[in-house]
Amino acid sequence: MEIRLKELDEKFKYDIAARPGAENFTYCFFCGTCTATCPVAEVNKEYDPRRIIRMAILGMREAVLSSDIIWMCVRCYTCFARCPQNVKFADIMEVLRRMAVEEGYVPEDRLNLIDQLDQKVQELRCHLVRYLLRPTEELAGEIRAIINGLLEKDG
Amino acid sequence: MAKKSGSVLVVGGGIAGIQAALDLANAGFKVYLVEEKSAIGGTMAQLDKTFPTNDCAMCIMSPKLVECGRHLNIELLTDTELVAVEGEPGDFKVRLHRRPRFVDLAKCTGCGECAKVCPVSIPSEFDEAICDRKAAYRLFAQAFPSAFAIDKRERPPCQISCPAGVHAQGYIALIREGRYLEAYQLIRKNNPFPAICGRVCHHPCEENCRRGEYDDPIAIAALKRFVADYAYHHRDELDRDPPPQKKGVKVAVIGAGPAGLTCANDLAQLGYRVTIFEAEAKPGGMMRMGIPPYRLPREMLDWEIETILKTGVELKTGHPIRDFRAIEALKEEGFKAIFIGVGAVRAKPLKIEGIDLKGVRLGLDFLKEVNQKGEASVGKKVVIIGGGNVAIDVARSALRLGAEEVHLFCLESRSEMPAHEWEITAAVEEGVHLHPAWGPIRILGKSGQVCGVEFKRCISVFDEEGRFRPKFDEKERTEIDGDMVIIAIGQEADLSFLTGSEIKLTPWGTIDVDPVTMATNIEGIFAGGDVVKGPASVVDAVGQGHEAAISIDRYLRGEDLKKGREKKEDLPKKPFPRFVVEKRREVMPHLPPSERIKGFMEVELGYDEKRALAEAGRCLECGGCSECLECIKACEAEAIIHEMVGSDHQIRVGAIIIATGASKFDPSLRYEFGYHRFSNVITSIQFERILAASGPYQGHIQRPGDGKVPKRIAFIQCVGSRDDEHDYCSSVCCMYAIKEAVIAREHDQRIEPTIFFMDIRAFGKGFDKYYERAQEEYGIRFIRARVGKVEEIPESGNLLVYYLDETGVVKEEFDLVVLSVGLVPSPPDLVEKLEIKTDANFIATRPFDPIQTHRDGIYVCGTVAAPKDIPDTVTEASAAAAAVQELLAEARWSETKVKEYPPERDVRGEVPRIGVFVCHCGINIGSVVDVGAVVEYVRTLPNVIYAEDNLFTCSQDTQERIKDAIREHRLNRIVVASCTPRTHEPLFQETLREAGLNPHLFEMANIRDQCSWIHPDNPELATAKAKILVEMAVAKARLLEPLHTVTIPIIPRALIIGGGLAGMISALTIANQGYGVFLIEREDRLGGNLNHLYYTIEGWEIPSYRDELIKKVESHPRIKVYKGVTIDEIDGYVGNYRTRLKNGIELEHGVVILATGAKEEKPDGYLYAEENRVITQRELEAMIWKKEVDRIKRVVMIQCVGSRDDERPYCSRVCCQEAIKNAIRLKEINPKVAIYIFYRDIRTYGLLERYYRKARKLGIIFIRYERNRRPVVERDGDDLRVEGYDPILKERIIINPDLVVLAPPIIPDPESARLSQLLKVPLNEDGFFLEAHLKLRPVDFATDGVFMCGLAHSPKDIKETIAQAKAAAARAVIILSQKGLRASATTAKVDRERCAGCGVCVSVCSFGAPELIESEGRRFSQVNEALCKGCGNCAVACPSGAIDHLGFRSEQTLAMLNIARRT
Repeated sequence: MEIRLKELDEKFKYDIAARPGAENFTYCFFCGTCTATCPVAEVNKEYDPRRIIRMAILGMREAVLSSDIIWMCVRCYTCFARCPQNVKFADIMEVLRRMAVEEGYVPEDRLNLIDQLDQKVQELRCHLVRYLLRPTEELAGEIRAIINGLLEKDG
Repeated sequence: MAKKSGSVLVVGGGIAGIQAALDLANAGFKVYLVEEKSAIGGTMAQLDKTFPTNDCAMCIMSPKLVECGRHLNIELLTDTELVAVEGEPGDFKVRLHRRPRFVDLAKCTGCGECAKVCPVSIPSEFDEAICDRKAAYRLFAQAFPSAFAIDKRERPPCQISCPAGVHAQGYIALIREGRYLEAYQLIRKNNPFPAICGRVCHHPCEENCRRGEYDDPIAIAALKRFVADYAYHHRDELDRDPPPQKKGVKVAVIGAGPAGLTCANDLAQLGYRVTIFEAEAKPGGMMRMGIPPYRLPREMLDWEIETILKTGVELKTGHPIRDFRAIEALKEEGFKAIFIGVGAVRAKPLKIEGIDLKGVRLGLDFLKEVNQKGEASVGKKVVIIGGGNVAIDVARSALRLGAEEVHLFCLESRSEMPAHEWEITAAVEEGVHLHPAWGPIRILGKSGQVCGVEFKRCISVFDEEGRFRPKFDEKERTEIDGDMVIIAIGQEADLSFLTGSEIKLTPWGTIDVDPVTMATNIEGIFAGGDVVKGPASVVDAVGQGHEAAISIDRYLRGEDLKKGREKKEDLPKKPFPRFVVEKRREVMPHLPPSERIKGFMEVELGYDEKRALAEAGRCLECGGCSECLECIKACEAEAIIHEMVGSDHQIRVGAIIIATGASKFDPSLRYEFGYHRFSNVITSIQFERILAASGPYQGHIQRPGDGKVPKRIAFIQCVGSRDDEHDYCSSVCCMYAIKEAVIAREHDQRIEPTIFFMDIRAFGKGFDKYYERAQEEYGIRFIRARVGKVEEIPESGNLLVYYLDETGVVKEEFDLVVLSVGLVPSPPDLVEKLEIKTDANFIATRPFDPIQTHRDGIYVCGTVAAPKDIPDTVTEASAAAAAVQELLAEARWSETKVKEYPPERDVRGEVPRIGVFVCHCGINIGSVVDVGAVVEYVRTLPNVIYAEDNLFTCSQDTQERIKDAIREHRLNRIVVASCTPRTHEPLFQETLREAGLNPHLFEMANIRDQCSWIHPDNPELATAKAKILVEMAVAKARLLEPLHTVTIPIIPRALIIGGGLAGMISALTIANQGYGVFLIEREDRLGGNLNHLYYTIEGWEIPSYRDELIKKVESHPRIKVYKGVTIDEIDGYVGNYRTRLKNGIELEHGVVILATGAKEEKPDGYLYAEENRVITQRELEAMIWKKEVDRIKRVVMIQCVGSRDDERPYCSRVCCQEAIKNAIRLKEINPKVAIYIFYRDIRTYGLLERYYRKARKLGIIFIRYERNRRPVVERDGDDLRVEGYDPILKERIIINPDLVVLAPPIIPDPESARLSQLLKVPLNEDGFFLEAHLKLRPVDFATDGVFMCGLAHSPKDIKETIAQAKAAAARAVIILSQKGLRASATTAKVDRERCAGCGVCVSVCSFGAPELIESEGRRFSQVNEALCKGCGNCAVACPSGAIDHLGFRSEQTLAMLNIARRT
């Protein structure tokens, strides 16, 4: 494959940077800090924040917005904290997801689903932390219930 | 306006400040060099080696330190900071504050004995806290001034809060070192009762101890007791003070309590005859009467009192002073002063019903009886009224005397009880029943015998103003039965003996004294202790006893009692010098309560040595120096002054140069890298110290965590640089990291360094070659990645480094991680004081003037203005000096000193009369070499007329002795056997000149560095060796001859070749100072490369600047411009050149500046010249200026076209900023234009990084390419097609631009090569001029009188060119401003008879000193003394032995070798 700039959307980067939270998007100098500290990248070799930014900056609008990759971010904000250029990658993921919905690459309720998932995961996390600190049977039951609920929904 | 000052203030003693100071002082200005630290040297002194030459930083810097420090016209003000500046250029008034060094600079010889005995360790700032230094310290071994300094932070709170001023931190420090007897003596200096106070003191020191802010305060009293007990058991070993001299003046002390005894002790030490009058049978006062033996064993009390009496104090016990007449009588007996310290020994009575019943006693009387007789009768059930310490002592004593039940009632609530908490606790443990908050109503009796007490509830004791005004709840009452009641509600002074006297009393029934002097209202009578304070503690009494003794001494000597005795101002509280790990205080062992009440055995058992050491180890040393005063004992030069105070100075100067440097980024702020959390993560500057032979590990590479040799070392770049907060590049880190990796490999081949970087910024002269060599020759691994995080593997202390490379995320294990920390601006206070502007918190400068701040007359150089390396710093320093020279030219030589010497004695024809001075160097030499034996031996040598030994031969008084000896014994040769001529030869030569001897009649033997230091374990052989070394020096001395220098006249004009920016700036800088300039330009117009440039990256417009500059140059009355002509021939040497131009004109001048410039090479390939849409950056700049770019939609820029390749292996330095400058312009003209920049490394060093960032913000896309995978430019039909490779997506990338812009290299002008031949000055392999030294002499050639600047030296931008041009001018003016040049005396000399004219000498000389002359039909060599540096190369190379080196003649050297051979 090769990248033909002629066939890409050179304005894509400005569209992204125009959105709140993504103002610093083009500051990226591709040092790789985000990917090197990303917990998702650690388990999923396909997931590479630096690569996503590069594709976006070069104008690969369709490839980025139609990709499943942009939905992988768990928004742990480690990249956000470590980025030397304050690119705010976690926020940029949010922008890309909205653009993907707006431009019809994914169904509209994908965002809602992700939000709900985030909420459930957050709840699960809180329960797990409580359980780790002070395990009770009651808590264990609640945790099982959340997991089962998640599986049912996804299933 | 006032006449301009000829003085200059240079702030900051790093390499920038040093260079600026030297350039100014050598050019006729008086310089004040102000440095905040105790020595000059700055950051450069901390570095190990320097890139790209791998020279030792200290070796190249040290001569500058010495020159700067010894310069007649540089006044070095260390420990000094700037306070305020007023005035205007030419006439500034500057206020300075000098902090106390606590060491007299004039007396300190730098021997280091103070540091050896100093018990306080503080993390060494010079070694970046890898190891400790002492509180008495020298910043580094080669520091100038070489004097030590004492590091005091705050006055330790323990010491301040002690009423007696005991140096608690000091004795704790001594305990930690096991120096218990010294600790004891230190306590005794301020408190004659260490054993007593170690037990009974209420220790306000502990309440104020800063360790208490963390966990528990240090158990200071317990440590004091440990030391005192140790001293008691080793009392035979204590130094006996010699009996004090009797002054014969008599002083009377009334009362042998702690105040009286202290006062007597102090006065006896001062030599007074003291008599103490004590009413009781035994001395000690309340210490004996009031404190039971279970708290204070009597043998301790007796021992400490005896120690005082042994100093000759007379004690009259059983001698009460009953009335004032008795005091008058004392005066008549000849007592010249009287101290009253009778204490507060009368128990306060309680006016209450039943007080007269049998079985009711007063507490103090009870205690007195117990303590004097060892017994007293007690009831079965004892009721005590009172809540103070006496009450508690009564209660505990009653228990011990057999009372079955002891009940203690007091008005106060439990928490308000005045007794010490620890006493109350002990009493309760022993079984005393407490009943707080009860007030007695009456004592109940039955048939005259006490049977109980009735109490009412006490609600509060004190009113709102804190006065004693108890309130009761009359309804709540209680009754207790008991067969004995003891009232212990306080005691007061019995002042009945003063009845009828005039002595003023207070309303509280104490003697009214002056709180500072302890003087009563009657002259000659002083008082202290409880009689003044009311019932207080032992240590309060001791404190007042001291003060009274000081007053009495002053009174008797007729001095002012008060002067200088005000409370000392406290030094500011500083953060703790080290990280505090929680550690609770050591527990004091006690007798179990059941054992205690069996008798009066001591309850507290004291620390053993192990506990004492552990407890002493908890001290945070918050005062820095502990004032243990051991250094005073150790300093033979008597240079230490602990009482030194700071001083304010005002100076008048004409100009100010700021050279305070930058700070280093604190990497603990980047949490993910683990600094401070993981012991094997260090900073680059720490690694620098680890590499240094003078560093903490003597140059052995090891990890600080466990001392293991690290194999895999990771360098992480840009820590604190190029990030959101620090949007600049620190400029130096890439190169220092590469250098550190290279040096590490040189130390140990097994080390495998890896450098994690984003762009390698090897933009300086010779840097890229160094980078290449690091990869190819040293095998250093470079990984282009910014490390995400570092984790520690706890088992091994190794580190996991996370990074992203082309294979994905990698976790790699390393043994050591080095963080390349960036430079950060210094704190803003200086900027605020100077009222100057900043840029990114660095000091801002003006357009086209990189050393001029926004306030006239204040200049800046070095890293305080922006990050930069050493050569750029040194260049700017000289440039700043040039600006000052220009400003103050009219005041040159107006405030400088010239040293006058007596006429030189003619010693020719005299038999050698040698004087030898052998130095002990404190104990540096004296403790190994038998100096006396050396002197004896030397005296037996022929021609030695005089020999002596000195504690410090370098001290000022010894210089006088040497001069006296020269006169007295008519000496005509001097030998000093001591340290090294490197630092001390000039001093002794100076002494010879002052005594009228030629300075070359001097020889030095190094018996320290080359003898005592290296043979400390073999004194006998060392002594023998010292004898030989001195004998060798004597042998040479016999043959020494006076040497004289010639003075060369100077033609005060400069020739500048090249009329570009550099040449024009140099010309103006020199001409504005009143010297003539010939400016030669090959072309028909001035301006050089400026004629092809239009704007700078900052946005400054070049054409108008250029035209202005040309106008100034061409209209300057002292500049003669020759255009359209080149040089034909240059002849002569420094000060005296004769140059012929091609047009036949001849010019005479004293110096030459080469500013021949460089040019843009035409690109090769990429369709350049074949296709008009392929242009260079310079051509693009012209198009933009002419507004010819509006139709351009897509641009590709290609960097490094012809740079950094095999043919031109150097970086052209300016192309990255040019491309970014033009790209930003294009974007600003038309935001829609798409710009792609193919680059290898973006090298926007320093503050330029912000433009790189701005370019990205604007959407300019940067695509990196590898050297072997360059983008390809082709035609694609009518289109241009650029094919490259994107390393991030790992795909080919194809762009169709309508413009391709190439960045060709900068290449030297061919004229440079021709001039290098004409002037015999070198070029480097790339064809640029090669300076005398890459780091420290960036504009000089090895040949004196020839300088360089601008692109002829190496590629650089406009600001850098301006700075360098000014620097070259400054260096040139140093020569032009002299009345004549003194050549060196120790030069090579040719014996024409033996010279064969072979010319070998000419070929080996780097300075062009010898030349071949033809005369009378033969050729021979002749050395130009003005050029000869005395290196000796020619003398060694000469095949016929025709060259002799004055001062090192063959026969002199042979004479030395003959002595050495004999042994």
